[in-house]
Amino acid sequence: MSLKFLVVDDSVTMRRIVINSLRNLGFEEIVEAGDGKEALTKLSSDDAINFVITDWNMPVLSGLELIRAIRSDEKTNAIPVLMVTTRGVKEDIIEALKARVNNYVVKPFTPQILREKIDQILASVSS
Amino acid sequence: MNQPNNMNNLFDKLHDLKSLFIYGEKLVPIIKSLVDFMKDTVPLLENINHSIADSTSKIPKATHQLNNVTSATELATTEILDLVDSVTNEVRGVEKTLKSFLITEEEKEKLLETLLPFIKDNNEALKIFEDYKSKSNTSNVIKSSFEALNTIKDQAYNITLSLQVQDITAQQLAAVNHLIESVQVRLSGLVSDLEVNEIKDFGNLSMPVPEGVSFDPNARYSKSDEGQQNVDDIIKTQLGNTSQDEIDKLFS
Repeated sequence: MSLKFLVVDDSVTMRRIVINSLRNLGFEEIVEAGDGKEALTKLSSDDAINFVITDWNMPVLSGLELIRAIRSDEKTNAIPVLMVTTRGVKEDIIEALKARVNNYVVKPFTPQILREKIDQILASVSS
Repeated sequence: MNQPNNMNNLFDKLHDLKSLFIYGEKLVPIIKSLVDFMKDTVPLLENINHSIADSTSKIPKATHQLNNVTSATELATTEILDLVDSVTNEVRGVEKTLKSFLITEEEKEKLLETLLPFIKDNNEALKIFEDYKSKSNTSNVIKSSFEALNTIKDQAYNITLSLQVQDITAQQLAAVNHLIESVQVRLSGLVSDLEVNEIKDFGNLSMPVPEGVSFDPNARYSKSDEGQQNVDDIIKTQLGNTSQDEIDKLFS
């Protein structure tokens, strides 16, 4: 399965770090967005995007709102979403799970954790 | 009968009045010192008011400077990322050159081997051949060069990962900024309240976050895997308490 990632983060630094990490893991097809609203625009205009990695705290439209929007649209509701955020408290994680996030990584992340979570999501999606 | 009673009442009243005057005499110095105290306090309160007004007027500058710090660190981080990318690209270029050099060396060695049937009966030529072959063997040098290049690439990538600290400190600064702005709003209120001689109880300092601003006030930079472990445990526990249907829904 060919993967095309959408990396969503308002921090230019974090977007570059996540994209560099994905390239190091061997993924080449990557697009980016600076907030949830821009991400929805990219998703609606690019059917090839089949994996979303998003931050939580973003202006305009947060990562949580983005996940809810993705899940509420039948065109995008099956797209796996991995949240990469600084928010590590239980209530936040439960809220993200309720919004139907596929997995959750706390910053600062390591490439091993990123790989592990992507693999877990892909395994659960394919089974 | 009524006359003496009235007189007694009058004397009682006069006695009370006298006591009041005596009490008043005692009270006068206290009232005077209270007035003196108020005279001293008013300039002090005015001074406090001015100080608060002055501090309040400086807060926008402080928040502006904190925003500048965030912008400067973001710019510096981008420059570092550019440099790291440049180093990594250079390393990849050297790796490519080294790989083609290795191929050429292998071809040269094969070519050299083709000489062997022609010189196998000439001991002197054979000795020179072996000597040349051992001196031209660069495979170990190339191998260690590849290892060194891989180390440089790994370390460059580790620098990239460490730069996640910029995003985390930016969120911490945004949280501090929000707190400072909340203090400014409260202090501005206090200044106007002091001017009308009434101080309100402000209670909790928390203020709604302005639109377009988003941060995690608890963001922290830690290299320990404790945070991720905690997240994984919570997810496991949550999924453990959830029916299969709900799990399927979560991960469908």
